[in-house]
Amino acid sequence: MELVILPLVFGILSFFIPVKWVRVSTLIFAFSSLIVGITRLLFFDPNYMEYIFHTGKVYKLGLTFEMGYDGIGIVMLALSNLVIFLVALANFNKEEANAPRFAGLIFLMQFGLNGLFAAQDAVMFYIFWEFTLIPVFLMLYWFGAKENNRTLLKFFLYTLFGSLFMLLSILAIGVYSNSYAYETIQYTAIPAKYACWIFSGFLIAFAVKVPLFPFHTWQPNTYSTAPMAGTMLLSAIMLKMALFGMIKWMIPLNFSALATWQWPVIILSVIGILYGAFIAMREYNIRKVFAFASISHLGLIVAGIIVFTVDSLQGSIIQMVNHSLIAIGLFFAAGIIEQRLGTSNLNEMGGIAKIAPRFGFWFGVIMFVSLSVPMTAGFIGEFLLIKSVFEFNIWMGIFSAFTLVIGAVYMIRAYQMSSMGAPKITEFKDLMWNEISVFAIIAILALSLGLYPDFIFSIVKPSINHMLEAVVDTQLIIK
Amino acid sequence: MSISILLIILLCLPLSGALINGLFGKYLPKIISGGIGTAMVALSFVIVLSLFGQITEPVKVTLFNLIQLDSFDINASFLIDQLSVWMALIITGIGTLIHIFSMGYMSHDTGYYKFFTYLNLFIFAMLLLVLGSNYFILFFGWEGVGICSFLLIGFHYSDPEKGIANSLAARKAFVMNRIGDAGLVFAIFMILNTFHTLEFDGIAKMVQGGGVEGISINSVLIIAITLCLFLAATGKSAQIPLFTWLPDAMAGPTPVSALIHAATMVTAGIYMVTRSNFLFELAPYSKDVMLYIGIATSLVAAFMALRQNDIKKVLAYSTVSQLGLMVVALGLGAYTVAIFHVTTHAFFKALLFLGSGSVIHGMSDEQDIWLMGGLRKIMPITHLTFLIGTLAISGFPLLSGFYSKDEIIGHLFAENPILYGVIMCSVVLTAVYMFRLYFLTFHGSFRGTKHQKDHAHESPISMTLPLVILAILSVFGGLLNLPGLFLHEGAHWLTHYLAGAPGLGLIEHPEAAVNTTILLMAVASTVSIGVLIWAYLTYAKKGAIARKDSELSGWEVLSNRKLYWDELYHLLIVKPSEFLGTMLNNLVEGKILNAGIVGLATLTEKTGTQVRKLQNGLVSSYLLWMVIGLIMLIVFYLINTLNWN
Repeated sequence: MELVILPLVFGILSFFIPVKWVRVSTLIFAFSSLIVGITRLLFFDPNYMEYIFHTGKVYKLGLTFEMGYDGIGIVMLALSNLVIFLVALANFNKEEANAPRFAGLIFLMQFGLNGLFAAQDAVMFYIFWEFTLIPVFLMLYWFGAKENNRTLLKFFLYTLFGSLFMLLSILAIGVYSNSYAYETIQYTAIPAKYACWIFSGFLIAFAVKVPLFPFHTWQPNTYSTAPMAGTMLLSAIMLKMALFGMIKWMIPLNFSALATWQWPVIILSVIGILYGAFIAMREYNIRKVFAFASISHLGLIVAGIIVFTVDSLQGSIIQMVNHSLIAIGLFFAAGIIEQRLGTSNLNEMGGIAKIAPRFGFWFGVIMFVSLSVPMTAGFIGEFLLIKSVFEFNIWMGIFSAFTLVIGAVYMIRAYQMSSMGAPKITEFKDLMWNEISVFAIIAILALSLGLYPDFIFSIVKPSINHMLEAVVDTQLIIK
Repeated sequence: MSISILLIILLCLPLSGALINGLFGKYLPKIISGGIGTAMVALSFVIVLSLFGQITEPVKVTLFNLIQLDSFDINASFLIDQLSVWMALIITGIGTLIHIFSMGYMSHDTGYYKFFTYLNLFIFAMLLLVLGSNYFILFFGWEGVGICSFLLIGFHYSDPEKGIANSLAARKAFVMNRIGDAGLVFAIFMILNTFHTLEFDGIAKMVQGGGVEGISINSVLIIAITLCLFLAATGKSAQIPLFTWLPDAMAGPTPVSALIHAATMVTAGIYMVTRSNFLFELAPYSKDVMLYIGIATSLVAAFMALRQNDIKKVLAYSTVSQLGLMVVALGLGAYTVAIFHVTTHAFFKALLFLGSGSVIHGMSDEQDIWLMGGLRKIMPITHLTFLIGTLAISGFPLLSGFYSKDEIIGHLFAENPILYGVIMCSVVLTAVYMFRLYFLTFHGSFRGTKHQKDHAHESPISMTLPLVILAILSVFGGLLNLPGLFLHEGAHWLTHYLAGAPGLGLIEHPEAAVNTTILLMAVASTVSIGVLIWAYLTYAKKGAIARKDSELSGWEVLSNRKLYWDELYHLLIVKPSEFLGTMLNNLVEGKILNAGIVGLATLTEKTGTQVRKLQNGLVSSYLLWMVIGLIMLIVFYLINTLNWN
């Protein structure tokens, strides 16, 4: 229970904490909820579903208040708590950290995320889905660049527009199976002709949020004008809600529609992989480089999810964790550069590594982690994902492997233009303790998951198997 | 000690060296941080020696389970057999010498501890590469050495003049290697799908046992697998089409060029193909591809080396050309001969690079051979050892290069006399550019500035000692695999030794007739000595003066400009993809997608404005709309009713 309630309490509390104390309290709050998340993760028994709120009652309109998590859920819960902690730590020295409402929004965000990952009821899932939009919108509005109102409006309307279709789909499921509770609708077989439409409603919402090509146009501008914390939250964890939704809600509930949608989605995601990579190669705004890189990375994850095999799902989950880590790392590095140089144009940077060797080192480490070199979690993830896509279709596999090569081009280009060469700048304050610890945590986690991926696999594998079995059982009913 | 413990220590030594230097190197005096780095590699060498003594048959050590999925298992396991131990001997042996050399060479550099961190890390990754018992661990090392290579090529990334160029060279190397890596990844997928394992010995058994679906001689699958593997090898071992990164990689400090870009990392591709010999044996088609690519690379690179003026660039093209020779050997199925040439090449090419390093060090960082000359009196030890290296690489009789090259050429002659003629051209060119390099650098009169002349000096003992050891090895390295001509019983020691590795023992080595062998050796010796005399007469003259690039004509321009290969790639690959990126960003992203979304928003807004006009407050107008609505409802109702019936 504390997984969901604690952030809510912290969030409300934070609004009333005196300005003097707020950044310390944020850190303490975030750390304690991280501890809770990790404890839950370590003591999780992969073979059972863990309920955190279980009444078994059905209320008016068929609503339930079931909350709980399986292996996939607990990994996402722990990930969201980790991301919140890293965001709090990364912003410790920033101006925003002294604003109580900033801290409040972060924890309300966490409340929404944790609720969403634990929701066992479709309506609850939808409510938490929309709820997370509020804190992030306010954060972007209060703390973002002043001229970004248009971008913000676009982002807000776009995602809201997408979610509307998901609401319709959820209502359709409810009508069809007379329930919104996951354990019931999981076993309701929806015939393909309805499932296709329900699937597409989810798909629009998730495609906008991920974002999948060509629904991504809100993303690069939003990422480049949002405050650093907002960009981190959006890229590191908010879009994981959509991926999680695909794995847990969209596909298993409408499995008979998968065959119809598999090809269109895989083609869009492979286009996204290439499209993002090519643009990132020619982009000069450092945050936009990483934004397009993110589109490219996520294309691969979506392709893996839609292939929907045991290997591909395990690969996409470890890659989701890895992507959260590198997204924080990369946008953090970009944020540090912007904060200290006042520019985000790669042409105006150069030689930072010479002046600030610690930054040069850690940025380099993050760069290699994001290149998915062996011994990092990204390698395991990309290996499994490309392998699954390759087995699904050779050409899709070959195209998606372009990310290995072009990824190296744009990442090294960004690093090189900003940090290598003779210094173009005279002053750059080197990293402080909190900044180093953020980078170090990311690097250590990526390395240890790269060497011992079984830690994640052993947790998620029984749940994936269980999910696939349920899907197969349900499909038998139709036939 | 048991082999598994030795193995763990072996892997931990360079890694801990890197960790110590990486974490505390900043606070340590240079002699200690360099000493730690060197000692770790030297100790690894001792351990490899003890493994070398213990190994009689392949031993597999499994440390832990890496990935355990439904369809496959991947372990962190290592295969200690003759091939991997031999490679490890080269890596740690040459590595130790180059570490010692670096202690002198890098002594003025501020990034001293960083340099040793990277070097130790490189040794670790390289050991992973050769010791891994499956393609997965091999790939760990494969990318690991790529990263170290990136870091070391761009070591002087903040140099005011060359910083950008250095970092660009590093990026080029990494990206081109990544293309090859993609090939290796695909090969791994296909192998996994076919054999359900990545272990070398397991695959070898399945291949030799036969009966694996889709695997037969020249079947599509086996050709796809082997060509993907070979694509990876062309990246790492700098073959056409992916060779252009290696000459640029000379931007790194000279010991790096010697260790990574001559003696060890670039031979990883040769090692990997040798390791996969059982797969290539089933794909004669892929072997032919290798043969022709090897010949083409060897010839093209030798031609490019003819008119290079940078001492390291000449050696770099020579490396590419020699790697081409090794690939020729692989294409002929003479895997152990390729490893033999890897070994001797490691000796004399490391020697030549370190010698050039010693020259550059003594000449205050000058690299243009037209600005050197007459150095033999100033740097006697460097001169003598460099001469030995030059003789060895150009196939001077009875030196190491003579034997290893001759075996490759002999095999080629037996296969196809015409190709033999082509490869002899490359051999002649090798002698030409090497002697040109040698005579221009060490003979004639000094052509540098006065400042350089006053400063020119022989290098300290830490630099000359490795040179002497490598020179001795370059002279006697040929004894490892003498042809049957000389010692009937003890001949081909290396070939027999390596036969213990999976697959290698099954490959037959047709021994050329004694008469042919003698004839081929005689031709090779004559060529080498003839070129030596010609080059002495041409380049050793006292009054040779520096030639500018603009004075070149005809074929010389082509050689100097590397056949415009880089420009071609720039035109065909770099430009179009940059154009694509820009176009996607401006046109698709900006005009189409964004305009589409904004257009949708505008449409909504316009509709809103229009609809608002309807709300004009006039009751009569509302009544009109109500009536229209009512009529439409009735019409719909009627249509629906009709349909239902």
